[in-house]
Amino acid sequence: MTPLLEQFLSEAHELLDGTDKKLMQLEKAPEDETLINELFRLVHTLKGNSGLFTFPEMTRVLHASEDLLGMVRGGQMAYSRKLTDQLLEAMDFVGLLCDEIESTEHIDASRAADSARLAEALRMLLPGSKAADAPGAGTAISTDVNKVHPAPAATPTPDLPPLFEIPEAARAEAFRQCGNGESLYWIDYTPTPQCFFQGDDPFYTARRTPGLQWGRIVPPEALPPLAELDTYRCVLRFQLLSAASREEIAEYYRYLPDQVRTIAIQPQWLVTPQGGLNEDPTGAVKASARSADALPQLAEEDAAELSAIVAAQRQILMLDDHSAWRAGQLKSVAGVLINASKVVGDSTAQKQIESALAQALTQSQGAPLLTWLDAYEKKLSSKTAGQPDVSSCCNECEPERKPDARRSASAPEESSAKAAGDDGPKFGRRAEDAFNAPKSLKVDQAKIDRLMNLIGEMIVSKNALPYLAQRAEVQFGVRELSREIKAQYAIINRITDEMQDAIMQVRMMSVSFVFQRFPRLVRDISHKLGKEVQLVLEGEETQADKNIVEALADPLMHIVRNSLDHGLEIPEVRRAQGKSATGVITMRAAQEADRVLIEIIDDGKGVDPAAVKRKAYEKGLIDEAKLEQISDREAVNLIFAAGLSTAEKVTDLSGRGVGMDVVRTAIEKINGTVQVDSTVGKGTSIRISLPLSMAVTQVMVIESDGQQFGVPMDHVVETVRIPRSAIHLIKQSQATVLRGRIVPLKALNTLLGLSAEPKANADDELAVLLVQANGEILGLLVDGFRETIGIIQKPLSGVLSGLSAYSGSALMGDGSVLMVLNIKEVV
Amino acid sequence: MPIVFKKNQAMFRDVVGVEEAEELLGWLQKKPTATVDLSACSHLHPANLQVLMAAKVTVADWPKDSDLRAWLETALKIG
Repeated sequence: MTPLLEQFLSEAHELLDGTDKKLMQLEKAPEDETLINELFRLVHTLKGNSGLFTFPEMTRVLHASEDLLGMVRGGQMAYSRKLTDQLLEAMDFVGLLCDEIESTEHIDASRAADSARLAEALRMLLPGSKAADAPGAGTAISTDVNKVHPAPAATPTPDLPPLFEIPEAARAEAFRQCGNGESLYWIDYTPTPQCFFQGDDPFYTARRTPGLQWGRIVPPEALPPLAELDTYRCVLRFQLLSAASREEIAEYYRYLPDQVRTIAIQPQWLVTPQGGLNEDPTGAVKASARSADALPQLAEEDAAELSAIVAAQRQILMLDDHSAWRAGQLKSVAGVLINASKVVGDSTAQKQIESALAQALTQSQGAPLLTWLDAYEKKLSSKTAGQPDVSSCCNECEPERKPDARRSASAPEESSAKAAGDDGPKFGRRAEDAFNAPKSLKVDQAKIDRLMNLIGEMIVSKNALPYLAQRAEVQFGVRELSREIKAQYAIINRITDEMQDAIMQVRMMSVSFVFQRFPRLVRDISHKLGKEVQLVLEGEETQADKNIVEALADPLMHIVRNSLDHGLEIPEVRRAQGKSATGVITMRAAQEADRVLIEIIDDGKGVDPAAVKRKAYEKGLIDEAKLEQISDREAVNLIFAAGLSTAEKVTDLSGRGVGMDVVRTAIEKINGTVQVDSTVGKGTSIRISLPLSMAVTQVMVIESDGQQFGVPMDHVVETVRIPRSAIHLIKQSQATVLRGRIVPLKALNTLLGLSAEPKANADDELAVLLVQANGEILGLLVDGFRETIGIIQKPLSGVLSGLSAYSGSALMGDGSVLMVLNIKEVV
Repeated sequence: MPIVFKKNQAMFRDVVGVEEAEELLGWLQKKPTATVDLSACSHLHPANLQVLMAAKVTVADWPKDSDLRAWLETALKIG
């Protein structure tokens, strides 16, 4: 299920609850305009949302409801009890569809009929509709796809399809299909007169009907003379014979259930001896439907048809034909006979025909089949003449026919029951129905945050247990107890870890939440700029903490806009440079250890480092000395500096020199880093690295002047020990050479205003923590390194919040407080 | 052009869309004795078909597409 669909369903349930409530309230206060307005808005929203998906069944009902409410809102009709009933019914149906979508991700095609019925019923209530005041009009059945055939009692001239008008060949083929146990349906397709304006091509629709056997175009009774003909008003009808299943047909015509009537065809109906109106075999079926007494008579008629078929086959066999066709002819004759015997239920005959066919084929003449036919015809005539055989024949036929008779007899009852009362199928989720609990919960974020804080505290207090165990052993000398505490700790540790993970999972969201808005954005902007752009999204399912994903939205927007505006060239320029006219922007997300990497890559003109350098120098962002020594890569990253834009002119999209600066600030706020790589003429790639979750920060604990400090791992490059002799003094500042590179050194004590000197170890080596800050590598002289731990960092509050040297504090397992250094501010 | 109008015959080609119907109607009104050649036609929008039916036009050549031909014969074959 796509996230969009999930969101739709969760919203739909909410909206439906709203409509139910409003409808109830309206019943008490039918004059309340605000209520009607709200209700209209709810239904309108729901309809709009449903239109995003292919749920025509749902949209149709909602559309009708909306029309109705629009009239009420406009004061064109009064709110009534009947209206509430009908609307509640419609909303229940929509709810039912939602549930169905939730479990199967699609709406069963059979719903189309219900949907059409409901929409029709709603429209009936509209003022001006002819049946508006007729009793029971609300649920009158106008179409029913499921009807087997109309009630003979209600309609004196049964509405059976004019099957005898089907050409003999097509009908024979259809009968064969029927005999093979395949379903066969007669479809009467009457497009609406306005359908051409809706872009429909009903002829095409008819031609592509699944399982099409035969079809014809039915002109209206009288076509108007040419001069008066309205070309764009559809007057044609289509009649089709399809061998597809009812589901397939319903699915195919799901957008037009009100224009299509489907009738199941009984195989017997197709057997019309040489197509005479008087001998319409459907009469027999109708008769059987009315009384069981008709059965023997039917068997007689049936047998007559059978002998007609047999006679026809005999004629074919007698034909003195080309020998080249002989084999095919024999096979077809045998096929017809086998099918005929299948219908009659004569399995012994089938086998006989098969063996006769095999003989006939080897001899290449019809004699074996003819012999069989002779024997069979004799048997037939004896049956019809009322010989003892009759009963056996009837018994054979009966199991075949009985279900038909029953079906056609009960169908009218069903449909008349439907028509009589307003007891059509209810989609009720009424009080008596089982309550269907929703699968997802909507929880206020504050509640999750509270859980997060609690688990944080739990982790901290859990970390106190090892210290306790140590104390028990060292201070009190109870080794046993210490061991037990440790064992308990292991268990609690496992549970809290899992708990933390579970809570983090709750907060996780896939980046598609942010990515999904880009296709539209790129499309709109590229059209505006006259550029051709293809957007490729990769790794949308990568997950990260909700805060992180949300914080990504703005920076990504800036970056993509920049790429569109400055990065990608217009098609002519691209062609001239031998690139394809369509530029490609790739947005890629991936998880790497505990970080999320997001790359935005374009194949545009790239960033010119020389131009950036010049601009930066002009704006005073770098001095002359820096201008000389800065590498191209570093220069390109200057685009993230405040107040720099290389674009020649300011457009409404970008170019004010704030964009990339905002990007950097926003990303750093969530402890992320951003880097750009660019090749002139080839393109630009911007890499954003973000923590998976803001909740747990990895820090390295260092010691200086007897105190412990945390340094976020994002900033740590490496830890080294340098002999004091390797430290050189350049003017006032210290530096050392590490792997051929000059690294400036600063004592952490000095930076923090502590007077103590850095302590060296026994070998007179100093601990140096190499950190990366503001794009530079710097060595911090500290006293020693401790472990790396995951902490839950709390921002400093109160008076302490003014201390920019620290980004926050965390509680250690032993209850001490660890101050986390804000490296960028400290150095 | 999906329909090529000759002196007294309209030739349909490939898929004839809804937008051709108006012109076809006008043309057939002017030429009541005109015939149509559908041999190269693979599909025609029913708007056109209605016009052909209303004009009781004579089909000089039926479509080569046998499926389309079978359909059209049900509508255009007079008698």
